Amino acid sequence: MSANPVGFVKEYWRVLLLAMFIAFALVALFIPGGIMADDSLAGDLEEDEANQSVEERMTNIEYGIGLDGGTRVSAPPTGMMVDNIDLESEQHSELESSLYTELDLETADATVRHHEDEDRYTAEVFVDDVSAADFAAVIAEYDADVSEDDVENGVTQDTRDEMIRTIELRVNEAGLSGGQVYQEATVEGSYYIVTEVPGMSPEELRELLSDRGDVQVWAYYPDEDGNQTNETVLEGEDDFSRVGVASYNDEQGYNYVPVTVDDTEDADGNSAATEYQAAMNEYGFTSEGIQQCGIQDREAGEFDFDHDQPQWCLLTMVDGEVVDAHSMGDRLGSNMASGEWANDPTFEMITPTQQDAHQLAVNLESGALTAPLDFDRQQTFSVEPALADQFKTYSLLIGILSVLTVSGMVFLRYRNPRVAAPMVITAMSEVLILLGFAALIRMPLDLSHVAGFIAVVGTGVDDLVIIADEVMDDGEVSSQRVFESRFRKAFWVIGAAAATTIIAMSPLAVMSLGDLRGFAIITILGVLIGVLVTRPAYGNILQRLLTDK
Amino acid sequence: MGYFDVPDISYTRYTNRQLAAVPLAVLAVALLILSGSFLVTGTPVPLGMDFAGGAELTVQTTSSQAEIEEAFSVEPDSVQGIQAPGVENQYTVQFAGIEDQDAIQELSSQAEAELAQDGDNEIVQQESTASPSFAAQTQQTALLGLGVAFAGMSVLAFLLFRTFVPSIAIVASAFSDLMIPLAFMSVADIPLSLGTVAALLMLIGYSVDSDILLNTHILRRGGDFYESTYRATKTGVTMTVTSMAAMLVMGIAATLFGVELLASIGIILFVGLAADLMNTYLLNLSLLRWYKFHGVRS
Repeated sequence: MSANPVGFVKEYWRVLLLAMFIAFALVALFIPGGIMADDSLAGDLEEDEANQSVEERMTNIEYGIGLDGGTRVSAPPTGMMVDNIDLESEQHSELESSLYTELDLETADATVRHHEDEDRYTAEVFVDDVSAADFAAVIAEYDADVSEDDVENGVTQDTRDEMIRTIELRVNEAGLSGGQVYQEATVEGSYYIVTEVPGMSPEELRELLSDRGDVQVWAYYPDEDGNQTNETVLEGEDDFSRVGVASYNDEQGYNYVPVTVDDTEDADGNSAATEYQAAMNEYGFTSEGIQQCGIQDREAGEFDFDHDQPQWCLLTMVDGEVVDAHSMGDRLGSNMASGEWANDPTFEMITPTQQDAHQLAVNLESGALTAPLDFDRQQTFSVEPALADQFKTYSLLIGILSVLTVSGMVFLRYRNPRVAAPMVITAMSEVLILLGFAALIRMPLDLSHVAGFIAVVGTGVDDLVIIADEVMDDGEVSSQRVFESRFRKAFWVIGAAAATTIIAMSPLAVMSLGDLRGFAIITILGVLIGVLVTRPAYGNILQRLLTDK
Repeated sequence: MGYFDVPDISYTRYTNRQLAAVPLAVLAVALLILSGSFLVTGTPVPLGMDFAGGAELTVQTTSSQAEIEEAFSVEPDSVQGIQAPGVENQYTVQFAGIEDQDAIQELSSQAEAELAQDGDNEIVQQESTASPSFAAQTQQTALLGLGVAFAGMSVLAFLLFRTFVPSIAIVASAFSDLMIPLAFMSVADIPLSLGTVAALLMLIGYSVDSDILLNTHILRRGGDFYESTYRATKTGVTMTVTSMAAMLVMGIAATLFGVELLASIGIILFVGLAADLMNTYLLNLSLLRWYKFHGVRS
């Protein structure tokens, strides 16, 4: 061996590179926090939990729901839309109200969006029982160029973004960390909203996703003629500026959510709070209506809208269903009558049960789901943590068995441990580097990734066999030059083979085929690391072992 | 000793026609099976729940296999016990091709209602459902993916060798490498799942390796045709047989453990690689020999 360090590096740079990668991988895998101790993506809660579990876990590898337990639900948003509508700006809300009235929709079920940067309008409806023709007909009253053919299935990116945000909030409210919400495009250009939550059962997650969560407060009161009428007085997330946590009043024994009504004044000096207060005073809630609500049987959880006495009730409505009906309290009523309430516009939204209170808080906090999800076109995948643990063991076992088989075959074929041992070690170092990489970028590993790792070992050994056969071809490797020339020949073949594997796998890496993306990504990364780092290094090692007499 | 050596096949004894006849006949049979199955069932291979809609449940229960089969409103396509170390009373229950979305959704609650609980364990350990329209979408995506991958591989083969016969030899044997395992699935009644699609794609990558090796040795290196062939075969067969062994072990182990994804990848790759051995060293080789001795005009 030459004592010249430059010469040493020149001759063995491939091995040195491999050693460097392995070192990096080991750090990324085993040093708590890894190379990038960046938890900015995770919330505070999650961070605490992550820190706790790092102490229990041996490695920094993160697992997906397939290996850790949890549920994934994919479903597209319900709705259709017409893009590029030509509108005058004052027609914006007119079109919106035409959609509600002419198509007989709830206000949450239609919206018109203005995209300021391109000055175009988009109309959307979020129900599936309106025909495209009817929808187009309403818009055609404003923009005659719109016909049925302009109606597209699906909703706008804005709507999907709002949905993703709402679902994220709900998942976080449910107190589970590590949830993920994202959209996936299909070949046809439609979109699915995918929600992944570790530690949730499919029933729980579907319930969380299927609630629209549109909260309204209705005033139920006798009008001038003495007939009971409904009026929406507070609506959705816009009217509430702060939502507290679900609470219980020990003295009087009821569940409630403390809320603050928005008191930001508009140009006319009105706010949601002053308008609510004015409505309460006008409808008589703060005078003869105080404590005058008896339509709810709390024991039975039933409502009786068939009554003789006039009733003044505040109805809490979620998705069009009455959740609770309660009366105006004494103190709140007099505060409102005097007009003081609007200065500190808080009240308690009472609910029958604790669960209702919690759900109400979540719905108020996260807002309504802009469009409902279409569960007729859903896909669910769910694994219990216990089975996921089994899968972890199985994966490890299957991986070890595969590696042992490959090693066995290689030893049988070459009969020379000097050739075979480094081959097996190199192939395994590829997996190690990949695992380190996965830990580094916090890629959650699933069964499909495990399949990818095994595939990488497979292609890896194939290439190493090519290198070994080529380098040992025609007897001894007498000089560096002979080695380099043989190595280049081998490299052409493994390079070409790697290119085909990458091409074959790339559609999977970009398409949304569920589990398979992980498989494709790991295979492609493995082939790249293999061809660029580990397999050349094997050539180097082999050369050293064969020329070292 | 059980050493594994690559035999030296005496190709000189056979004509190109004789060599190509075997793989072509097998391919013909495969295509016949696939088209026959297409005519009878409407699909060349049985579609699993990923592509036809349906459900797959893994249940843990003390109920017997027969009781599990009776527990659902829809009769399951298969109920398979999981044989893994330290695991008892676990079964994989598969339903494919259910049209009614609500019926799919209800399967897991039926399992919870009808099956006997095993200690404290949850009855439904794993649930995977896809509605028919989601599955149709997946099917389209998978077909497109396979198509793009195959086309990309073909283009690359032509770019690498820039001559018609050697390139088409690669494409033809890769095609056959895909058709034979598909026909095998049809005969063995292995449903097409995401795992098997992954295996088919992997097969495109794997199978081309040995073809490229053979072509390179014969076309780009000097020396006797049979000498080059022997060297390429020695390396190529080692590669393929090693991979086959690994895949067989993975396929068997994963089948026993009930890890469906890994099981189907292992089994399909094993069959495909076996087909690849035949296609590379009979079909591709005969085309190359014809090209080398008759096809090149200089």
